[in-house]
Amino acid sequence: MQEQFNEIFIKYHEIITIGVYGTAIALMLIGLYAILMKKNLVKIVIGLTILDAGIHLLFVGIGYIQNGTAPIFSPGYENSADRMVDPVPQALVLTAIIIGFAVTAVALSLVIRLYKHHNTAKIDQIKHLKW
Amino acid sequence: MVISPIHYIFVPLVAAFAIPLLSKLNKELPRIIPGIVLFYNIIISFVLMQEVNEVGYISEVIAGWRAPIGINLIITPFSGFLVSLISVLGFLIWLYGFRFKKVIDDGELRSYNILQMMMITGAIGIIITGDIFNLFVFLEIVAITAVSLTSFYRGRDGAEAGFKYLLIGGFASAMILLAILILYTQVGTLNMAEIAERMHTVPTEIKSTILILFIVGFGIEAELFPLNGWAPDAYSQAPGPTSTAFAGIVVKAGVYGLIRIIFTLFDIEGAYDFLIIAGLITMIIAEAAALKQTNLKRMLAYSSIGQMGLALIAFGIGTKEAVFAAMFLLLNHAIIKSLLFMTGSILMYNSKEKTISSLHGIAKRLPFISILFAIGAFAIVGLPPFSGFWSKLYILSAAADKEMIFLIVTILAVSVIEIIYYFRVVSKLYFAEGTTNVEVYKPKINAKISMLILGIAIFVIGFYPDLVTGYLHNAADILLDKASYIQYVLNTDSTIQ
Repeated sequence: MQEQFNEIFIKYHEIITIGVYGTAIALMLIGLYAILMKKNLVKIVIGLTILDAGIHLLFVGIGYIQNGTAPIFSPGYENSADRMVDPVPQALVLTAIIIGFAVTAVALSLVIRLYKHHNTAKIDQIKHLKW
Repeated sequence: MVISPIHYIFVPLVAAFAIPLLSKLNKELPRIIPGIVLFYNIIISFVLMQEVNEVGYISEVIAGWRAPIGINLIITPFSGFLVSLISVLGFLIWLYGFRFKKVIDDGELRSYNILQMMMITGAIGIIITGDIFNLFVFLEIVAITAVSLTSFYRGRDGAEAGFKYLLIGGFASAMILLAILILYTQVGTLNMAEIAERMHTVPTEIKSTILILFIVGFGIEAELFPLNGWAPDAYSQAPGPTSTAFAGIVVKAGVYGLIRIIFTLFDIEGAYDFLIIAGLITMIIAEAAALKQTNLKRMLAYSSIGQMGLALIAFGIGTKEAVFAAMFLLLNHAIIKSLLFMTGSILMYNSKEKTISSLHGIAKRLPFISILFAIGAFAIVGLPPFSGFWSKLYILSAAADKEMIFLIVTILAVSVIEIIYYFRVVSKLYFAEGTTNVEVYKPKINAKISMLILGIAIFVIGFYPDLVTGYLHNAADILLDKASYIQYVLNTDSTIQ
């Protein structure tokens, strides 16, 4: 059962890789589109998180190895260093997710403050300061 | 106790977590503890600066994982100099701001000093880290605290400025993350020395893609045109001490990031020319914009952007003399612009519009502050007895050595614009008829001391530039010597120094 699955998995590995990279890039583009084109403050913040999610996915994607194992030297896996998934990008992504969380929290609190101050969440109606 | 670079990060973080608990004991502690921490930073800085000037490099290995596996902190004479500058300024800004009435009266605003302290910690972290991902983390600490500080006062349009800053900053951090990602796929390491060593294996197209992403990311903190749209808004809406910290500290960290990445990591043909062109455009546009500002803080912000453009030009010339001059300019800009922002916020304290016209004849009522503002204005345009003169002179002579006549002409022309708008403000201070009945804010003794120290520093460096030039020459030499940086970091032994 497992071997059968692995066979299919290896066969479609390339498709999956392209799928991961494609999804990541699509997410980044969607996020950029939302940041640049949307007028609603909350939607802009969502765009920022989608952009981040795309980059995070790309990070995990590059560390992935076909048919890899966890990067831990446990019994039965003593000699499998070449099959181990690169742990560094995963560690980076964890940090990046936490940072992204903090940025989103600050952004949303600013949105609340802006809404109370201007009574609108449309960015084109908030223009006390000129660029 | 052994003094090591890790204290820069460790002590403020512990303090920041402890303060909310300690504030239950005494309500004054959140204001006082950051001052103690920032003063401790000064002590570390001066000990380390002495040491690094003799040995060239100091490396701190974290948790016993030696480079390139673990994260390491590196102090070179250049970063040691910037860190000392930031520490001293950080303490002076705290001294200036800690008795501001608005912060004392409102209990909710007690977190102010903690945020300010963390912003300074982040800026120091950017400068001393030897790991590229660590650099990103510290940049985010600076960005989040800076955004919170920008939107600190509820009454102003701080939230609008803060949201702009956060959007641009969020975009920048995404670009830096992407750059780190591509870099990691190419060289398989995050240690800056090892990246620099393996950089020659990367194809030029990919190298320039990474460089562009990094420039977009760091250009936002370094206020590079056209990425500096956040700066005038943030400077004008933030509390006075925070605008001072933006001009004196955050920008320095951004410029350092840019310089470290271009000088140490990349050796692309044309990166230096890029710095010159970007610096020129930034300088010209910012100074022209400063000329038409009516809000004093916005004017100072644009002037700050223009000065950073000048620093980038000097770094872009790339000779030892020019890099030395650029460092000298960073030092002068930090001192003078901090003084201008400090005095400017006091002159503007009770004015609602913060316009220059509300300053008419205020010198009669605030003579001490007005004189300090005038000294700062004379120094920043580069009049001879003041410190600003020397850095501009060294930059011009470095440009003359490479026969860049166009640069010299532009820098001098821009200086004329600077003179016009600064002297306009000074003449309004002294010679205009007083029309406003706004009650002036008399600064307390602590603010006066901190401004006086900066004012004296302008004169001391102006009359005795030799005090700093020797150290800065050494720093410039070592910044340009990339090979010794790589060798030092990768061959250092794991014993903690």
